[in-house]
Amino acid sequence: MTMLMFSSCYKKDNWSEPDARVYGNIIDSYTKKPLLTSQNDWSIRIWERSWKESTPINQNIPVKQDGSYNNNKLFAGSYDMLPVGGAFWPFVDTAKGVTYTKGGAQQDFTVTPYLQVVDLTATVTGTNLTLTCRIKAPKRTGLPNLVEVKPFISLTSFVGESNYINIAEYNDKRIQINKSWVDENGDVETSKLYTIGPLPVKSGYTYNVRVGANVNDTYKKYNYSEIKQVIVP
Amino acid sequence: MVFSACQKLDLEPKGILGQPELFGNEFGVKKYFTGIYNNLPIEDFNYYGNNNPSGGNAFRPDNYWEAGKNSQGNCSGEFFNTWQGVNNGGFGYWPYDRIRDVNIFIQDFPTYKSKFSDAAYNALMGEAYFLRAFFYFGMAKRYGGVPIVKTVQNPLSPKDSLEVPRNTEYDTWKFIYTDLKFAIDNMPATSEYGRANKFVAAALMSRAMVYAGSIAKYTTYMNYGSEKAYTAGLAGIDPGKANEFFQYAVNAGKLIETGSYSLYTKNYPDKALNFANLFLDASSTENIFVKDFDQTAPHNTRLRHTYDALMAPQPDMSSFVGAESYPPFDFMELYEMPAYTNPDGTPVRFTNRSDIKIDMEPRMKGTMYFDGDLLRGKAFSIQKGIYRNYTGTAADAQRGSNGAPINSGGNRILGGRGWTTVINGVTLNITGAHGHFDDQGGENNGWGAAFVRKYVNPAPTPAEVSVYTSGTAWIVFRLGEVYLNTAEALYELGQRNEAFDYIEKLRVRAGCKVPRPAIDAATTNIGTINKANYPYQIEKSLQFIRDERERELYGENHWWWDLRRWRVADQVLNQFRPRVLSCYYVASEGKYIYLDETNRINRTWSANKACFYEPIPGGEIQKNSKLLPNNPLY
Repeated sequence: MTMLMFSSCYKKDNWSEPDARVYGNIIDSYTKKPLLTSQNDWSIRIWERSWKESTPINQNIPVKQDGSYNNNKLFAGSYDMLPVGGAFWPFVDTAKGVTYTKGGAQQDFTVTPYLQVVDLTATVTGTNLTLTCRIKAPKRTGLPNLVEVKPFISLTSFVGESNYINIAEYNDKRIQINKSWVDENGDVETSKLYTIGPLPVKSGYTYNVRVGANVNDTYKKYNYSEIKQVIVP
Repeated sequence: MVFSACQKLDLEPKGILGQPELFGNEFGVKKYFTGIYNNLPIEDFNYYGNNNPSGGNAFRPDNYWEAGKNSQGNCSGEFFNTWQGVNNGGFGYWPYDRIRDVNIFIQDFPTYKSKFSDAAYNALMGEAYFLRAFFYFGMAKRYGGVPIVKTVQNPLSPKDSLEVPRNTEYDTWKFIYTDLKFAIDNMPATSEYGRANKFVAAALMSRAMVYAGSIAKYTTYMNYGSEKAYTAGLAGIDPGKANEFFQYAVNAGKLIETGSYSLYTKNYPDKALNFANLFLDASSTENIFVKDFDQTAPHNTRLRHTYDALMAPQPDMSSFVGAESYPPFDFMELYEMPAYTNPDGTPVRFTNRSDIKIDMEPRMKGTMYFDGDLLRGKAFSIQKGIYRNYTGTAADAQRGSNGAPINSGGNRILGGRGWTTVINGVTLNITGAHGHFDDQGGENNGWGAAFVRKYVNPAPTPAEVSVYTSGTAWIVFRLGEVYLNTAEALYELGQRNEAFDYIEKLRVRAGCKVPRPAIDAATTNIGTINKANYPYQIEKSLQFIRDERERELYGENHWWWDLRRWRVADQVLNQFRPRVLSCYYVASEGKYIYLDETNRINRTWSANKACFYEPIPGGEIQKNSKLLPNNPLY
């Protein structure tokens, strides 16, 4: 094996590596707990305002499945921050001038989800899995049309739109609604019971399952139920 | 000895063509324009619908044989394939260098006016305006409003004056209108093959204005709200302006009807063959503007292509890698098709696989090849598998699921290329010779019941069909499209009956059983393909016109732009999972059945709401921050 070495211009970059940190949680305004979401489904947009040389172009910090985010490789400085693209009512209250330092800055955001997926049950009969759930829409005025209620099934602990078993046997069982909330459920907060299935599963496997529901907003991301673990005997 | 030092050294070089040579006579202008024509944003056989993976220009890609695999049809689900998906973000098209070439001509050509007759001068000036409009059209449909630069910028002038901000989307389309209006008013009715004339300009006008009209009418449903580019009018047009543009489209279409064009009918009464030959006959009376290709052209000119080799199975009909683009069943269903399921839900029994073509719309047969059709001396042979018995309904097959009882326990037999099985002492081929092979991917493996026929040239032998060996011309504008533009614009203007006059002409030529369906003004927000959930209501007959557009223009690189300008791409391509029509032999009966199945690898196509506008290229924003705000959702 030949090793090639190139050496030229041994001048060190005079800019130290970025080591400032920002972290925090996205809080669901209804539950006051971290928002139920899917890994890397959407992100926090940040703009560095302390950099004056050019117009800043936004960077994105992805949000994790547990509703938290963290980045410790940023340049220290002052930033504006805005959560964008998730399944919640448009968030307009940009956090201005958040100072990122090596020690880290915590910045939490409270968002209002479009929907909540509640009362999830998962029943295994033989090698068939049946899911039931209800959807809640606490804020219905101006709510975009409901799109669908969809099962997400995974063999790992990550389950959601960014990681699920994408086969027709599961996807064809999603319930396509494409109607307004009122047309589907009437002007009530909690929907009827949705039953999804039967979904074929394999004996001896452990599945992680959850249900997502979305509305026809710009991003069509899902609001999720909690994750349930299903062991198929 | 005498030395003379007075030789003048600062001479005009003799080997370079300067402006006097290029602008001072018609041949020079032709040479100057050739380079501009060659870079027009024409989405032809070599267009990379996807981001050009090797970098550079999607219109002039490297390794351009792969363009067929990266075609816009593959990216947008119009062709089923196993590896391309939606390109939501574009590729940074920004042809201001070419626009500058045109602007130099427009600025300096008047200096040479005395060397031309008035007619010749006006024709060439009009042609320049047409060329400029074409580049702006290529940008407007991607970005909405872009900076209108119609003078030659001096690179030494103050930086501030070089940083031109974006114009509004309305102004940009209106600029395209005025350039084309000038071209129409100044160009003659005829031109040499491959160059523009007034009708070519009118055809671009027809297409561009129907785009602008629908963008004006439907962008308001996108809920862009407080997006800065939207509120500033850089992305989106006041819906009140829609009719203005639709009327321009109608006017342009009517002007073209005064020309010598007519729908191609040379091969009547065989309407299927006629529709197929429309795309191959260079003398077609339907062609308004053609980009010529030639298999003898030098390699790096990108004036030959590989379409034939990437649409037909190998080795029977080509000698390259084989096809990778197949018509999904969802698109086949748009046409008049024979029943494949009985009223009681059981599959229809066919004596031959090719009996699926009985009663099929001739235009569909001219657009797609089916089992039994001949190409280059061989017959297509397409079958997915064998059922030992098939009792029950088509639904029992559960869209091809391996879990369905009827597909289990060895009752359904699938296989690979050339595999056989023995049933009751008889050896049977499991699959057709050209697919579908259950053990292989998308390349050279027919998915569903058809191959693409449109633009496929049957003349060469299979050995001649290989990489870079196709020379079929690309039809940029044809009368059929103009009729569809006019029909759509008329319908949007409320002139429903007149709109269907044009639809009827196309459906007669297509051989449809119902050439003129009754007008149905009931509204719906559910589209045809993928039962898309539009954000607005449209009349059912307008949806029919939209569907007619796809029936007629399938595979001609219109579909993706249509989905975008109608503002429905994110709904039509919302987890769009192309279906396939699969043929099986039922061994116990000696008959064939066709089943509607989900594609075996569950491929889906999804567009997002950001796709309606591409982002202004980041590199350009770095150079000129006045291009901000960027388009919605970026």
